[in-house]
Amino acid sequence: MQNELLFALWETLYMVALSTLFSGVFGFALSIVMIITGTNGLRPNKPVYALLNVIVNLGRSFPFIILMIAIIPLTRMIAGTSIGSTASIVPLTIAATPFVARIMEGSLLEVDRGVIEAARSFGASDWQIISRVMIKEAMPSIVLNCAVVAINLLGYSAMAGAVGGGGLGDLAIKYGYNRFQTDVMIYSVAILIVIVQIIQSIGNYVYEKIK
Amino acid sequence: MIQIEHLGKYFGEHKVLDDISLSVKQGDVFGIVGHSGAGKSTLLRCLNGLEGYDEGSVRVMGQEVHGLSTQGLKELRREMGMIFQNFNLMNRKNVYENVMFSLEVWGVPKKEAAARVDELLELVGLSEKKYEKVRNLSGGQKQRIGIARALALKPKLLLCDEATSALDPKTTISILELLMDINKKLGVTIIVVTHQMEVVKMICNRVIVVDSGRIVASGETDKLFLAPGKELKKLITDDYAIIPSGTNIRLMFPREIANDSIITGMARELDIDFSVVGGRIERYRDDVMGFLIINVPDSEVERVLEWLKNKGMFWEVMDNAE
Repeated sequence: MQNELLFALWETLYMVALSTLFSGVFGFALSIVMIITGTNGLRPNKPVYALLNVIVNLGRSFPFIILMIAIIPLTRMIAGTSIGSTASIVPLTIAATPFVARIMEGSLLEVDRGVIEAARSFGASDWQIISRVMIKEAMPSIVLNCAVVAINLLGYSAMAGAVGGGGLGDLAIKYGYNRFQTDVMIYSVAILIVIVQIIQSIGNYVYEKIK
Repeated sequence: MIQIEHLGKYFGEHKVLDDISLSVKQGDVFGIVGHSGAGKSTLLRCLNGLEGYDEGSVRVMGQEVHGLSTQGLKELRREMGMIFQNFNLMNRKNVYENVMFSLEVWGVPKKEAAARVDELLELVGLSEKKYEKVRNLSGGQKQRIGIARALALKPKLLLCDEATSALDPKTTISILELLMDINKKLGVTIIVVTHQMEVVKMICNRVIVVDSGRIVASGETDKLFLAPGKELKKLITDDYAIIPSGTNIRLMFPREIANDSIITGMARELDIDFSVVGGRIERYRDDVMGFLIINVPDSEVERVLEWLKNKGMFWEVMDNAE
């Protein structure tokens, strides 16, 4: 049992780490485009922003469990299979990307417009403003948001267990729920609680360091 | 240096700048005063292209701002530093990194840039704060960093947007002295946007008064303040209570006679009594100018005015209802 718990823990960490990484990269890229094309952006572009806005809202309104099942063909295409922890990374990434885009957009919007104006006043290019002013100034808030995303994905990954996604959620359902092994369920949940605490603490620690 | 002709700008239907024409010469400290919302900050931003405009022409160092390419505008901005009411510094970075940033943007070699930063911190008197985080500094110190950053690229023009409005009076004076120094020693032309009359009086040699997007008064600072028109007076708030009986006369002393004992002379020569309601001596750049409000019995007004005329004084009979 101990081995199974350890393996499930490993699977969970694997899913959460990779899906956080991928959704982070895609979502962040999306948020940059949104921030540039938004109403007060560096290059306002209404159609592009409106389109992205709708896509992000759509993506966020899908219940995860439905999304996961709906995109099984896509998952199979990318991961080669639709069960197991590697396969779960695909729906996890797709579900989290719009969420990441939205909260990172929020972080970037918080950057003082005056600082951006100052950078423009001495001739910084748009790219320099994004990379050296906006992202750098927003970094503390971005770090905190990363913790939020990772914790959210931890919750989603447990849900993925319901349809054979592997990890602690899977274990808790299989043994704890279906076979009435309450102790396994409690262990699984306790480990999840500890992981959440650790992720949040790391986020807070880094935030304090760099703010 | 700057030539603006019939400049107009709209925000939607609202005309925020209306038929603005002015010229600024090299070495000027040029003031743009007005109430908040008068359009003066927008006017300033038209100079370095942070705002566009719809009508007329803005030529800065011979170039029409509106027609510039992205690259051309960048090059022009390199020649123009700007400082802000809220300093607009990167609070998470230290002093050195903030000043360094404008040099990095232009790819100035590290060694040269570092030397330049030291030179600038010396100029603004903050060398010992080099590695201090900006957020730990006072407002006045922050503005000094803002000035150092704005001067890093050796601009010919410095634009000041309400640069002292967030500072206390004492700090304001120290910042203004620094700006004067920069104007004199480095020959940087300075444009000052402010709603504070003291700022204009202290450092500007020429000034325009803007109200609702239009220029309502313009000229040399001392002349304008000696005989303020109706529009300017709206901006100067005198906090003297006016005595309702008799006639209140506001006397203005230019430098040449500020030191003479005009008032006691008048009392002696005309053998009249009057009361002094209020007064002050103000500094105009390097000049001193005096203001005095006296209250004269109505029967003596004509003699007093006659006497003042002969002495070459500037005066103004004040409206008691004022």
